[in-house]
Amino acid sequence: MDSIAQAGFTFVLEEKKEISGEDLGLLQEKLLQLNWGVQHPASGPMRLKVWVDGDEVVKVDPDIGYVLRLLEKLVEYRTWINAIVNVERACFMDNFGTMTGYSIAAEKIAGVEVPKKADYMRTILCEGGRIVSHLVGLGSFVGVLGVHTAMQWALIAREKFLDAFELYSGQRIATASIIPGGVRFEPTGKFIEKMTKAIDFLEKEFFPRYEEVFLDNPTLKLRTKGVGVVPKEKAIELGLAGPPLRASGVTSDIRKDYPYAAYGELDFNVVTREEGDAYARYCVIFEELKESAKIIRQAIEGFPEGEYRTKFPVKVPPGEAYVNVEWARGCFGFHLISDGGTGPYRLKMGAPSFANLWAIPEMMKGIKLADVPVIFASLYMCHGDIDR
Amino acid sequence: MLEEIKEKVQSEFGFQSEPYDTNMLLIHGNREKIKDLLEFLKRSGFNYPHTVSVVDWTPKGKDFEVNYIIENIQEKKFVIVRVTLPENDLTVPSVCDIFPSLQPHEREAWEMFGVEFVGNPRLEVMLLPEWAEGTFPLRKSYDFKKHRKEKK
Repeated sequence: MDSIAQAGFTFVLEEKKEISGEDLGLLQEKLLQLNWGVQHPASGPMRLKVWVDGDEVVKVDPDIGYVLRLLEKLVEYRTWINAIVNVERACFMDNFGTMTGYSIAAEKIAGVEVPKKADYMRTILCEGGRIVSHLVGLGSFVGVLGVHTAMQWALIAREKFLDAFELYSGQRIATASIIPGGVRFEPTGKFIEKMTKAIDFLEKEFFPRYEEVFLDNPTLKLRTKGVGVVPKEKAIELGLAGPPLRASGVTSDIRKDYPYAAYGELDFNVVTREEGDAYARYCVIFEELKESAKIIRQAIEGFPEGEYRTKFPVKVPPGEAYVNVEWARGCFGFHLISDGGTGPYRLKMGAPSFANLWAIPEMMKGIKLADVPVIFASLYMCHGDIDR
Repeated sequence: MLEEIKEKVQSEFGFQSEPYDTNMLLIHGNREKIKDLLEFLKRSGFNYPHTVSVVDWTPKGKDFEVNYIIENIQEKKFVIVRVTLPENDLTVPSVCDIFPSLQPHEREAWEMFGVEFVGNPRLEVMLLPEWAEGTFPLRKSYDFKKHRKEKK
């Protein structure tokens, strides 16, 4: 009798004994370990070891490290300005947020004040990055449920923003455009024009259409409402970050709580939901897109004149700083240390996706196997950010 | 709020603390009382831990530093609790029974720096490949050439 491993699946028992065809009749009485991931279309480069009892998930253990690049070590071999290329690769979706956080930390140690124009430019880019990232988040959430139209629509809207980034920095994804001391390039009128066009498309074309089809959607609600519920106290205890934390009713947004760049001067709301289920997390991502569009419009309106960059010293005096930024996927912390040299001595990146990932084993206890991808996608994680 | 914490930490534990940034307080703790201190901070409202950040100061002739970064999510304040450990005795009690969400962060700090968190139930490799266990790549003494995986 052939083992079922040859049929494409490997069932591994708790006690690591492989079972072959003859024993299959007893499967229901045994705890099976399934590999959800690496090759699963929704998982990305990581694996969840899922132990199931029939259809019920008993235990989940994430296996990560597939995209480990050890960015925290690589940064130590760079100069202060060069280090942005490693920092931005924490996740390429929203590369502006991480660069901004690192730059603010470096400026704090060096005692450099950036011009107002750079602050506004950072705000515009950060929100652009957030929109780009959230659009993919929305699309992949619906994609996990088996409908890929949402992803295509989101990508059409995303493309316009990537065009604007390309016009600004020459790159569509890893832009390396925010450096300690300001931003790297002069923001031109053409860039502003392109950004405005992208926002116009998002607000006039994308939002109404998407809202009608994919937000107020009975099938989607049936599948996601009441799935993976995390109450408020539990969310804080599990250490959830970003949109999943806000979807559980915790008002936590670094942009509002500890304003950086130009966020203190702009008017926006922190989106929260009380339900704390997968649908609430999905809605928070969608509502945040609207807020981001609002912020970019305000920043463009109040765009100041002046320098876009100041001189950043080659050697930075010894010191350290801890800076948080509200990145697309949550609060990203930078613990940056200088020993007086030409580059960072140590950089610790506190990643939000890492925190969200380790809430999974607790959140997935006792759910049905079919809900694993839904909860996974609703947590809105990035693998580059988990592994760093 | 942070002044109150500063005074209480001084009177109850005898730890020095200093302002680190706006809305941020740095407490110099020690490993004997770290669990009591974090329990006290949790009761005082610092209930949302961010991460554990280890710094290797050995090339500068100093010790290892373990920083626990914890936020008060209601009042929007931060504390950083700093513990220094000598290079030949890198052990510190685990705080994962007080803050369960710090458990994977401690695990990462262990695999990257070799700081042993006594009481952490899962000190096993997470991000690194299994052959690299015990190489502690984020230490300053890590030698790229020595630890390179041999080609077949």
